[in-house]
Amino acid sequence: MGTVLEYAWLVPVLPLVSAALIAVFGKRLPWHGSEIGIAAVGLAMLLSIAIAWQTFVTSPVEPLELAYDWAPLGGGTVLELGMLVDGLTAMMFLLVTVVSLMVHIYSREYMHGEVRFTYFYAMLSFFTFSMLLLVIANNLVQAILGWELVGLSSYLLIGFYWEDKSNQDAGNKAFLTTKFGDVGLIVGAIVLAAGMLELGSTTPFNLLELNQAAADGQLGQGTIVLGILLIFLGCMSKSGQFPLHVWLPDAMAGPTPVSALIHAATMVTAGVFLLARLFPVLAQSQTAMAVVAIVGVITLFFGGLLALVQDDIKKVLAYSTVSQLGYMIAALGVGGYTASIFHLFTHGFFKALLFLGSGSLIHAVHSNNMSDMGGLRKAMPHTFWTFVIGSLALAGFPLTAGFFSKDEILIAGDIWAGAGFATGNLVYWVGLAAAFVTSFYMARAVFLIFFGETRSHHAPHESGRWMLAPLMVLAVLSIVSGYIFSPFWTAEQNFETWTATPIIDEEATFPFADHGAEAAGSAVQGEGVLAAAPTLAAEGGELTILHGAPTWHPDLLLIVLAVFGLAVVLAWRSYGHGLPERDPTLHMGGLSTALVNKYWLDDIGYRYIVVPVRDRWSAWATWTSNVLIDGAVGGVGRATKALAVATYDVDQRVIDGGVNGVAFSAAWWSERLRRLQSGDVQRYAGALVAGVVVLVLAVALAR
Amino acid sequence: MDPNTAGWALVVALFLPLVGGGALALMPAALDQQIRRAAVLITGVSFALVIAITATFDFGRSGELQFVTDVPWIAAIDARFFLAIDGISLPLFFLTYLLTLLCAIYSLKVLPPPGKPKAFLALMLMLQTGMAGTFVAFDLILFFIFWELVLVPMFFMIGIWGGPRRDYASVKFFLYTLFGSVFMLVAFLAIYFQSGAQTWSIPELSALAPFGSTTFQTWAFLGIFLGFAIKVPMWPFHTWLPDAHTEAPTVGSVLLAGVLLKMGTYGFIRIALPILPEGATRFAPIIGVLAVIGIIYGSLCCLAQTDIKRLIAFSSVGHMGFVMLGIAAMNATGIQAALFGNLAHGIITGMLFFLAGSLHERYHTRDIATIGGGMLKLLPRYGVLLTYVAVASLGLPGLAGFWGEFTAMWAAISPGVGLADSYQGLYLALVVVAALGTVLTAGYFLWLLQRVNLGDPPERWSSGHLDDVMTIEWVSWAPLLVLILALGVYPRLVFGVQDAAVTNLVGFLGG
Repeated sequence: MGTVLEYAWLVPVLPLVSAALIAVFGKRLPWHGSEIGIAAVGLAMLLSIAIAWQTFVTSPVEPLELAYDWAPLGGGTVLELGMLVDGLTAMMFLLVTVVSLMVHIYSREYMHGEVRFTYFYAMLSFFTFSMLLLVIANNLVQAILGWELVGLSSYLLIGFYWEDKSNQDAGNKAFLTTKFGDVGLIVGAIVLAAGMLELGSTTPFNLLELNQAAADGQLGQGTIVLGILLIFLGCMSKSGQFPLHVWLPDAMAGPTPVSALIHAATMVTAGVFLLARLFPVLAQSQTAMAVVAIVGVITLFFGGLLALVQDDIKKVLAYSTVSQLGYMIAALGVGGYTASIFHLFTHGFFKALLFLGSGSLIHAVHSNNMSDMGGLRKAMPHTFWTFVIGSLALAGFPLTAGFFSKDEILIAGDIWAGAGFATGNLVYWVGLAAAFVTSFYMARAVFLIFFGETRSHHAPHESGRWMLAPLMVLAVLSIVSGYIFSPFWTAEQNFETWTATPIIDEEATFPFADHGAEAAGSAVQGEGVLAAAPTLAAEGGELTILHGAPTWHPDLLLIVLAVFGLAVVLAWRSYGHGLPERDPTLHMGGLSTALVNKYWLDDIGYRYIVVPVRDRWSAWATWTSNVLIDGAVGGVGRATKALAVATYDVDQRVIDGGVNGVAFSAAWWSERLRRLQSGDVQRYAGALVAGVVVLVLAVALAR
Repeated sequence: MDPNTAGWALVVALFLPLVGGGALALMPAALDQQIRRAAVLITGVSFALVIAITATFDFGRSGELQFVTDVPWIAAIDARFFLAIDGISLPLFFLTYLLTLLCAIYSLKVLPPPGKPKAFLALMLMLQTGMAGTFVAFDLILFFIFWELVLVPMFFMIGIWGGPRRDYASVKFFLYTLFGSVFMLVAFLAIYFQSGAQTWSIPELSALAPFGSTTFQTWAFLGIFLGFAIKVPMWPFHTWLPDAHTEAPTVGSVLLAGVLLKMGTYGFIRIALPILPEGATRFAPIIGVLAVIGIIYGSLCCLAQTDIKRLIAFSSVGHMGFVMLGIAAMNATGIQAALFGNLAHGIITGMLFFLAGSLHERYHTRDIATIGGGMLKLLPRYGVLLTYVAVASLGLPGLAGFWGEFTAMWAAISPGVGLADSYQGLYLALVVVAALGTVLTAGYFLWLLQRVNLGDPPERWSSGHLDDVMTIEWVSWAPLLVLILALGVYPRLVFGVQDAAVTNLVGFLGG
């Protein structure tokens, strides 16, 4: 194994150092800290490229794990801090650092003149560090650490313009919704680790050990189902799965480069990444996979529909992100491990491109709304052609990166269906239907923005070099990144071998699929219609996780082209000549009402969760504390006092004793206590100290 | 200093503040600044001594008692003067001296009406000896004396330098805690007689345990439970806390949150668990349930507060719930978690009270709505500090607050001493509900930040001038700010020191 992998820890450390340096010195530098961020992330990217190259050409590689004991956790267990470098890590490194660098460069121009420019750069670097920390983690606790830190960066950047209440609310909503999901992540991690503890592990949170134990069938089904589904709850909230996606569109309140980096290309894919990392565990349970697939399908379809009725270009892209994340999650649920992370990889580039492109547009017309744009292809030619490439990739137009990755997901669904699982059919057909929706809303956006007459009140102008260069780089990547897992590429070293870990490659299987696979085996292998040739290992008839190198699927290609063509033609008829007076997506009856109201999820959440907790339950708790519990305490106090008064009464009248008789009654004490407070306290405190000193002296003498 | 023989160092460190307080009382009250500087000197020298003790502490044997002084004291009742320190005591002992020093520094500039630095600081020094003593006393009688010694100065600190409702709050604090400790004393007596060993020594009694019938274990534990649970405070014994915290002067609140509450959890771990393991096992599920109720309930109450100090006070109820959840797990990891959470809460919440106090100094109100937002514009440094500490308090990984909470939940999923067999489902439910509590915690802190930090400042503040963080505040806060980060990124600082001592202690639990 080459030495470059051993320096992988530098990749997250560089942006961390950068964040600290920017925070301390940034304001005094000529470029206000952005030069540090660009340099550090640039270096991290170069290192990531070296790591990616190393892992790619020798793939599949043995994971390199280096860890040291972070802290003892009691009972002989140890918490590790370490790194796990394999193809999956290298792929994420490459994606995160490339997009991050592009965003760092782009923001020089986009954020120029902002009051909190330096803070912005510090946070960008800090986010990059957090994300890389999550990616490199060799154990679940460290992953949670990175996971929550990206959440914090996201919160701080969504609320970047914190003067406005709506932006503050968006930040809170994002943090709290994902924090709710984190309940699942944390408890799920604990449940799985408890299972590992029972197996005698001293590092129960270790990811490789966990995957190995799961693949070997050592973990109980109960532990696996409970643990992975709880973790999936965390993935749902972070990766915008229905109905926990509600924070993601609001998160567009942040500056556009942030939307590109955090809320499209990297952070929101953290859930997909973590589930992929734990795929050997997920693969153990049919139930868990079915849940994952169904949630993914719901998200990819209903999330996509929401993009149809948006006017704000960033909201279109946000809902499209929700939908694409749905594809990735659904793919994992139907055994499409490679397909899912391949789509994660390509989507990162073209969605970052689209967001940065929309930033360029927003800069030009000073509005997020497509109704304020129109006809911009002449004024902004470079933004135009890069945006079109991004849109084509998103729509899955043949020979773009999105085509190869999205079709791989559909094919994974088909293979799964062939193995006898209905969720496979669901992913295939709903995935196709959603591809139509995707093509339509992107065509709508492109036509509304670039065609017809301009509706802007400003004179639109093309952006400068700092913004255009990243657009062009990402446009190239939006096409070429798909070829490393396409029929044009070699079967020996491709995206699949790159990101396959040995456990997934050789050991992990779908234990529940034995019978189904045998029954459906011949059908799947014989069909040969769609990609991935050998779906079943020859020996044993087990469904393998890796599907092999892709091949051409003329039928799917035809369907996809037909779907795309139909969508574009329909969109052209409505939007090709400018903003229609009657937007057809807003006149679909009840469906439009539901979409405009975002399925009423925000209202339901506000009315049945936020308001009761914040206004009613909290008031109730305070009332019980102040009135009920404290009332009881006060009652005891008053009763004691009444008793004391009564005692004193009895004492005076019946016993007729002197002060000595009363001395030990509570009334005497309460009288004294009262006097203490109004007396000369300095003298009293002095007396107390003296008393203690006397006590100590007495001790010394008594010895 | 040799940790095997230098018992004197601990004795000197412990009584230096008390003696110093006596010396302060002799100084003429007119020497205002000199008195304040003398207090810094006394707490500084004491802290230096504690640093020396920490430096020479044998971390390889952190499970054993070091710096031991064990001599007969009151022979008639077998009470001994038994002071020592081990890996469990050391972090809390250290925190006590650090916080008191910082409070003394802070008091150089800031002292609420009616002033009188002499009385205030003498009381604070007396308080310091009492607090520190509970963490190093290994004789039940001695422990009890330190425990009660704490009440008196705190009573006066709240009662004289407190807010408008100080009379009510101070009496309530005093009587409520006294009420609890009476039961505790009765339980101590029962332990003494039941053990039949003629000793109050905590290590000896732990080694003898379990002794006595189940009935004895149950009742004795109940008595001790009342004493400690009120101090922690656990739900539903918490109602003295919001009043005491809200009315106490800043330094009082800092020490109350930073150290006083820790005495309760420390008592559970040091005394109740090892000496009464059977009683503890019977009570553990109840403690767990009360702890988790406290987490949810405390967080809900925080959402309803309009007074920033009262909000922080209620947040203690929630955070101490996590600490008690760790104890309820009854295993080594749980104890580790509880002790870590204890310490982290002391640092973070102590810091929060410093901030709240300083805000009151500036705005002359603690009402969140009156402050009205925009602090990041008006007082940017305060705004950043408040964000940092609030985020630490809501348990962000990488800062100190996370480890206590996460580890407590991790411990509670597989409770020790056979609890896993009968209560597996209950403990899983406890973990889930506790985790939901972290969402509420995040909720009230983010809402607080939104209402105080963000937005534009209201008219009433933008006209006048408010001072940002002063030098004296930086000096007295910097160590806490650093510790919040240091414990977050390097939890071994605490987990490592405690590990051996906790393993020893869990040995007494059996199972």
